[in-house]
Amino acid sequence: MGTVLETRGVSKRFGGLLAVNEVDLRVEEGEIFAMIGPNGAGKTTMFNMIAGLYKPTSGQILFRGKSIYPIREFWRNYTPLLAGYYAVADRVRRGLGFGPMPLALRPHAVTTLGIARTFQNIRLFSFMSVLENVMVGEHCRMHAQVYDSLLRTPRAVSEERRVQERARDLLKFVGLERYSEEYARNLPYGHQRRLEIARALASGPRLLMLDEPAAGFNPQEKVELIQLIQQIRSQGVTIFLIEHDMKLVMEISQRIVVLDYGEKIAEGPPEQVRNDPRVVEAYLGKPA
Amino acid sequence: MTARSQKPAPSSSPSVAARIRGTWSAGTRAFARGSRVPYIVLLLLLVAFPFIDGNQSHIGIAQDAGRWILLALGLNIVVGYAGLLDLGYAAFFAIGAYSYAMLASGQFNVHVPFWFLLLASAFIAALFGVILGAPTLRLRGDYLAIVTLGFGEIVPRVFRNSSKFTGGVNGIVGVDQPFIPKVFGFPGYHFLFNPVPYYYVILAVLVISILLIINLRNSRLGRAWMAIREDEVAAASTGINTVTTKLLAFALGASFSGFAGTYYSAYLFVVTPEAFSFQAVSIVVLIMIVLGGMGNITGVIVGALIIYALQSYVLVQLPGWLNSLQSSINLPFLQGVDLGSYAQDSKYLIFGIILVGIMLLRPQGLIPSAQRKVELELGTQDEAVADLRGSA
Repeated sequence: MGTVLETRGVSKRFGGLLAVNEVDLRVEEGEIFAMIGPNGAGKTTMFNMIAGLYKPTSGQILFRGKSIYPIREFWRNYTPLLAGYYAVADRVRRGLGFGPMPLALRPHAVTTLGIARTFQNIRLFSFMSVLENVMVGEHCRMHAQVYDSLLRTPRAVSEERRVQERARDLLKFVGLERYSEEYARNLPYGHQRRLEIARALASGPRLLMLDEPAAGFNPQEKVELIQLIQQIRSQGVTIFLIEHDMKLVMEISQRIVVLDYGEKIAEGPPEQVRNDPRVVEAYLGKPA
Repeated sequence: MTARSQKPAPSSSPSVAARIRGTWSAGTRAFARGSRVPYIVLLLLLVAFPFIDGNQSHIGIAQDAGRWILLALGLNIVVGYAGLLDLGYAAFFAIGAYSYAMLASGQFNVHVPFWFLLLASAFIAALFGVILGAPTLRLRGDYLAIVTLGFGEIVPRVFRNSSKFTGGVNGIVGVDQPFIPKVFGFPGYHFLFNPVPYYYVILAVLVISILLIINLRNSRLGRAWMAIREDEVAAASTGINTVTTKLLAFALGASFSGFAGTYYSAYLFVVTPEAFSFQAVSIVVLIMIVLGGMGNITGVIVGALIIYALQSYVLVQLPGWLNSLQSSINLPFLQGVDLGSYAQDSKYLIFGIILVGIMLLRPQGLIPSAQRKVELELGTQDEAVADLRGSA
């Protein structure tokens, strides 16, 4: 059991606002790890930094021991050529006064490494079919080159068939196989959330990040969601989720971290976090 | 039918209604899958066209329309599939035309064969697609449109002003005309000014292009384009490299206009920078795909044909028609009024009114792709539609 994801002193500043301040996290392999906190605590910012959508102002993010940010060591570890390019470009940029080279992996590269995510406000490809949405999720695991796509080579055809089959399996897994030809936007809300999870799973992640997966769900849907999350975890995918529903969080997660005003105020198993005076204060305010 | 033949019928025979339903749905499925027969018939008709219609000027019109269709199909990749609004498409057309004119004429006394350059200029145009696409990668919607518009203006101007290489305003005259060389006992054939062989060239290029574009649409790359069109952030987070995917859209879109450019300069025998202006090419091609139905190959072809017919037939003939109408009716209050010259002067006004009319009647385009149709039916308050409007 190793550490899947680790952040060391990660901060993010938006102008004068310090959205995330020196946060250290450790997500262990195979666990369900939850991040909670009041609105505006910096949870989604944290997610966006891990997913490569934002570059942290400072700090380090490591996925399975390798750095996503800063990327310097990452390139050194993986591709000497890129590291050389990086060194030269960095020197040039600094010399011209543009500051250092951007250091983070881009989102698609993070996904290819094995981190998949869903969004707080659902972001499906609305006017593509449900099946196509999941197939897009497999994009980074496909090998068809431009000429394969243009000429429909046997390689591309067989890959296409395989990918489609896998997408159908995933849809069956989340219970949407009936809707595979529908437009994603025509699905009911709950199904759209499930489809987003299926799309994320299609990239074959080791770490699945769910941003408020139960938002807007009724109790029955929440029970089904918990089952789904447990099933995903039993397939060896580590789960990192943001959630506001305390009952759900306490029920499924092994460990919880609490953010407030961009700072980590508590971390530990559910019982411990629930009774932490700082957490109670953050949610309910100081006792008079 | 296939569905039933695969599955053995259950022992208790299904009700008549169910059977009819089954047959009917199998029929609609076959229809949706698209039988190839009508397309083959159409293709045969097109191949036979020069034999049926001996009038060379008709063949000339047909090949010119074919070139526009090719341009529209190329732009459709960029705008219709990837959702990147490109207002500078004429630039790539010009690059294709000039690369043939410069490499196969007396300009530098270089004479590279047409057939080779037909392919090579597609690569040259694709390269420029990447070069011009790269700076626009961070831009979206309106901003992207402005930058591409700039490129579309710059390129013809560069060709006009670097007169040492391109002949300046006069362009390059005396571009090589294609010929089929003497090989394997074939006598060899010079195209000269006969439109018929050009017609077959553009027909072949079109058929191949359409097949390639159909392949693209249902491929890994095509899905990635559509994902970017729908939601770029989600696409990136789903594992699509948005930079390479967008550059590929620019490159592949441009390559089709590279074909068209080479073909165009070979056919015309001349290239001049005036032929590649914004209003002569970029905007016309954009109108073709918007009016026909973005993202739908059939729609784009129909749109291209209609706009082509409007521009180069209806509007040209209109003054003549009006004049003859006037003389045949002979209304007293119209005596001495030259309706024809009015029509001639207000050609673009009439063109504009027709366009406005069509777009009001069919905002989704004449033959829309399924998704565009749904988008428009669902109204404009929707976020996704707003995104699309911004970018397309």
